[in-house]
Amino acid sequence: MKAIGKYTWIAYTSVRSSLAYWGEIAARTIFMAMILYIFMRLWTAVYEGAGAERLGGLSLKQMLWYLMITEAIVLSSPRVSVEVDEDVRTGRLAVQLLRPLSYALFLMAKTFGERAVRFTMNILSGSIVTLVLVGPIPMSLSGLAMFALIVPAAFALDFLAYLFIGLFAFWLESTAGLWILYSRLTMLLGGMLMPIEIFPDRLQPILRNLPFAMMVYGPARIFVAPNARTLLSIAVSQMWGLAAFSIAVYVIQNIALRRIQSNGG
Amino acid sequence: MRHEVEIENLKKNFVLKRWHGLRRSVSEVAAVDGVTLTVPAGEPVALIGPNGAGKSTTIKMLTGILHPTSGHLRVLGLTPWRERRKLAYRIGAVFGQRSQLWYHLPPRDTFELLSRIYSIRRDEFIRTRDVLVERFGLGPFMDVPVRKLSLGERMRAEVAASLLHRPQVLFLDEPTIGLDVVARQELRDLIREWNRKDGVTVFLTSHDAGDIEYVAERVVVINHGRVVVDDRVTNVRRQYLSSKILRIQFQRAAPPVDLPGVTTLARSEYELKLAVDSAVAPIPEVIGQLLQLAPAADVSVEDPPLEEVIARIYQTAKGGPV
Repeated sequence: MKAIGKYTWIAYTSVRSSLAYWGEIAARTIFMAMILYIFMRLWTAVYEGAGAERLGGLSLKQMLWYLMITEAIVLSSPRVSVEVDEDVRTGRLAVQLLRPLSYALFLMAKTFGERAVRFTMNILSGSIVTLVLVGPIPMSLSGLAMFALIVPAAFALDFLAYLFIGLFAFWLESTAGLWILYSRLTMLLGGMLMPIEIFPDRLQPILRNLPFAMMVYGPARIFVAPNARTLLSIAVSQMWGLAAFSIAVYVIQNIALRRIQSNGG
Repeated sequence: MRHEVEIENLKKNFVLKRWHGLRRSVSEVAAVDGVTLTVPAGEPVALIGPNGAGKSTTIKMLTGILHPTSGHLRVLGLTPWRERRKLAYRIGAVFGQRSQLWYHLPPRDTFELLSRIYSIRRDEFIRTRDVLVERFGLGPFMDVPVRKLSLGERMRAEVAASLLHRPQVLFLDEPTIGLDVVARQELRDLIREWNRKDGVTVFLTSHDAGDIEYVAERVVVINHGRVVVDDRVTNVRRQYLSSKILRIQFQRAAPPVDLPGVTTLARSEYELKLAVDSAVAPIPEVIGQLLQLAPAADVSVEDPPLEEVIARIYQTAKGGPV
């Protein structure tokens, strides 16, 4: 119980720390509004060009709300691997290891706090912009509950993927190349730019089973078209993904911590 | 006597892998090479040595961050690398250039967080925090974001934060690095005071002779991973520099001095500052000879600054002349 309290307090402190940075919040909000405006123009042209009312099963309004959610998810992602990379390179890891905490859980709590602030701000600003641009879509309490259920697992999965990459800092000079590759794959294959239903038929089953879709496409799809069956399928995939990444992180962290080299002095 | 730190024949080797074209060579470097020492409860010890001597590696093994290659190591009865988290509740550490304070938040928030991390009882936390705020003079900036603090203020808050859970052993790695003279002295006084009043064992590494002189009672010099000197600070000073600084103020103009083993360091109209090699010329004899040259108003004998002592020890360790 005490352990849970520790990590909850770390997340709370992280929320407070993120709220202290109003400049960054304002910059993100403005960027989010710009992106959504560009998407609105782009997808209006696509729908008009295709002469269709629905693409990938979504109306133009739904599509823009879908894109608002995917943007809010992707833009709220903290670069955990950069932090791990720095901890290892600068020797700051020593400070983290000197406290009675799990390094991975400390980072997870910190990341969740930071992301909670960013995601909430993105959703608030994104909803206002989308509401102004295209108006509301039908929403239900059960749909929102499904969304609220699936988002934390998506964030946990994203965190583990970034941590997994960050831990390679024990072997590599820098993990920048890896996380840039990972973040671009998330954007391209995770359904950030368009729903998986719009990809070629042959690719769709593959994309649906990749971890990227469980982090981005899944929550956004549930938000615009809530459905218990879709929820179950995404949640099951997320659980598998979480189990696989947790094991991978656990193994690699144990190997990495044994490799710590003395830094300084 | 109860020993809080016990180290016996401690070794740590690092494996270096290098590529030469397509060939890879693997070699081992001994960062710590058979260190043996014990530290009784409450003793302030300085661990000093040139860069790469093995000080930080030793501290990292003592705190459980690094696994030793071989040897025996116990801190507060625990094996650090096996019981790192258990040990973490009973030790504190400050790494001069690595902060544990949250940059955008005031120290008060980090203190609150640390009280949760170390599971400190609420009433106990409030009592300790208030004592630290008072003794370390943190009151005026407890609610100011860390990013707005001066380095001196930040370091005072860092050390106070590391004492919140009342550790039995405090590891300080270059705690005064980058501080100005006043802030440095303030921090030394605070650490020394806490050591005396709270009985915390202090393990200090520093390149600053002042830190060692003001904070520690015992000095352990490490070079090439081995203990070169382990003695009281006063003994080290006495043993490693036979030279003394002698200041003499005459009642009339200072006469020229030409005595064996005596070098004039500075001269003013009435005063001389002399370096005396007491192995060649015993101090009482030198004073006697000076008094024959002219009547004196005041005489003082000082030990040389510790920087010189340390420089001499390093030189000796390299095989140079003492």
